Amino acid sequence: MIDQDNDKIPIFKKWGQWYVFLVAVLITLIILFYFFTKQFS
Amino acid sequence: MTTLDWIVLVITLLAIVTYGLYKSRTTRNLDGYFLSNRSMSWGLVLLSIIGTQASAVTFISAPGQAYTDGMRFVQYYFGLPLAMIVICMFFVPIFSRLKVYTAYQYLENRFDGKTRMLIAFYFLLQRGLSTGISVFAPSIILSSLLGWNIYWTNIFMGGLLIIYTMSGGAKAVAYTQQLQLIIIFIGMFLSAYMIVHMLPDGIGFTDALHVSGKLNKINVITTGFKNNGFDWSDQYNLFSGIIGGFFLALSYFGADQSQVGRYLTAKSMTESRVGLLMNGLVKVPMQFAILLIGAMLLTFYQFNKAPVFFNEVQVAKIEKSALSDSFHLARREYENITAKKKEAVSSFVQSLHADADVSAKTAEMKQLQQQSDSIRKKVKSWITSKEVGGDGNDTNYIFLRFVLDYLPAGLVGLLIAIIFLASWGSIAAAINSLASCSMIDFHRKLSKKEVDHEREYKLSKRYTLGWGVFCVIVAMFTYNIGNSLIEAVNVLGSLFYGPILGVFIVAFFFKKIKNANAVFWAAVFAELTVLLVFIIAQRRLGFLWLNPIGVSAVIFFSVLFNSLFKKQIQKINPA
Repeated sequence: MIDQDNDKIPIFKKWGQWYVFLVAVLITLIILFYFFTKQFS
Repeated sequence: MTTLDWIVLVITLLAIVTYGLYKSRTTRNLDGYFLSNRSMSWGLVLLSIIGTQASAVTFISAPGQAYTDGMRFVQYYFGLPLAMIVICMFFVPIFSRLKVYTAYQYLENRFDGKTRMLIAFYFLLQRGLSTGISVFAPSIILSSLLGWNIYWTNIFMGGLLIIYTMSGGAKAVAYTQQLQLIIIFIGMFLSAYMIVHMLPDGIGFTDALHVSGKLNKINVITTGFKNNGFDWSDQYNLFSGIIGGFFLALSYFGADQSQVGRYLTAKSMTESRVGLLMNGLVKVPMQFAILLIGAMLLTFYQFNKAPVFFNEVQVAKIEKSALSDSFHLARREYENITAKKKEAVSSFVQSLHADADVSAKTAEMKQLQQQSDSIRKKVKSWITSKEVGGDGNDTNYIFLRFVLDYLPAGLVGLLIAIIFLASWGSIAAAINSLASCSMIDFHRKLSKKEVDHEREYKLSKRYTLGWGVFCVIVAMFTYNIGNSLIEAVNVLGSLFYGPILGVFIVAFFFKKIKNANAVFWAAVFAELTVLLVFIIAQRRLGFLWLNPIGVSAVIFFSVLFNSLFKKQIQKINPA
């Protein structure tokens, strides 16, 4: 691993946007799982 | 197993070993051997991270776990995406800037050599033992199901991968993991398809979900709260998953060399970060899909004959004991209930299709399931009784028993191959990391002699061979842990991960703590605290909580000792 972060960040412009996206996906998954549980239990 | 299964199994395994050897050409120095010359793309890093974490038990036990306890196990992974973010923000830039081979090298820069060696020792101890158990876990399952000799199975499970791991180091590990995962995902998808395909006519995927859900197996989200408050002994719920799972994942991916060694192979910091973040994206849905196979299997066994106990070796034991007659009676009763279940579930699905009220049918299904569960519970208690002295947990055998009993020839061989491949992926990475830690954190540090790259490369190969042999030997002596193999690996990890991570957290976030002795003794006391809590609390505390306890203990003792040592120094050398 080279100590250069000049590579273009894929998809987003900033790493912070990646992190927010990951948290949003996790929250969405938990909500979906909650409704999935409610639907079939 | 049929001849076709054997052909599929042998070809798959030989293909992996050959591919590993083919990909094993690397530069003859430590950078090439342990870090693939830092040349990997994020895709390879991602597959290597997944392949290292997902052992055979991930694919075998998870469906069994959902079959018996429901899908709530997925919550164990909820903290993982958050841990990936923290690692990308704080761990990756530091490891990258210092160009380390192992995570523990950083601790010498920040504190001192003895703190680095203590934490590296914790890692070697827990990873060495748990890798031995990781060799034994799938071996005992295969030898019980197929009647293979356990010693030979251990040698094949842990031995064959040594050939390419020793020869090609991190590069061979990463490339074989890529191929292994492709085969594993194809096999798991085919078996999931077969379960739904073999359901009776008129019973679809959604119906199967309804049946499984009514039988409490679609319990993906649970809070852990009961009538008298939060249940701290509950292993898997939303809170233990997010908090305990976060600390476990942070330690595992941030401070366990078997994972750190994977993303250090990336060609740039960006590739490392993307690999880790993609892992955070795919891990939860992947585990959900594997657990769903188990929930579907429960519905499948509502229509098909299920063994009262899935491990036939234990069944043979009880049949030879004084409890044999009682067991046969219980088994007959269990089979009668299965016949009733088939009718009740068919009737439930018909009502569902007709949009009729299903509450009465649901109650009937639940009652029958409770009856069969209580028979299984009784049989398990007989198996663990003094008269039989067996292993009463058959979770690991549920999915594979289905594979052997119901899947067509060829697919059985592929699924058995998957057990080997999944094991090899994680064991190879673990052995590679144990060798790198031994070489970098101990040999290089303690050796007074100057050696050239070629000599270091040869020594690293010997360490890889040594750790491979060590893990097979541990597997040979791993007996009587029996029912709790996966749990043993997880508990072993949780006993050490807290203090290991705690030292890294103090290093990153407590800049005022500079006294190396304070942190060293804090790590020692924190480990003793975790062991004490584990012994005192026993089963009353879920093992995931040991991780935050370990981290908090290191922080607490570091702050305390740092201020005490500072006062002592001030007394000796007053200003």
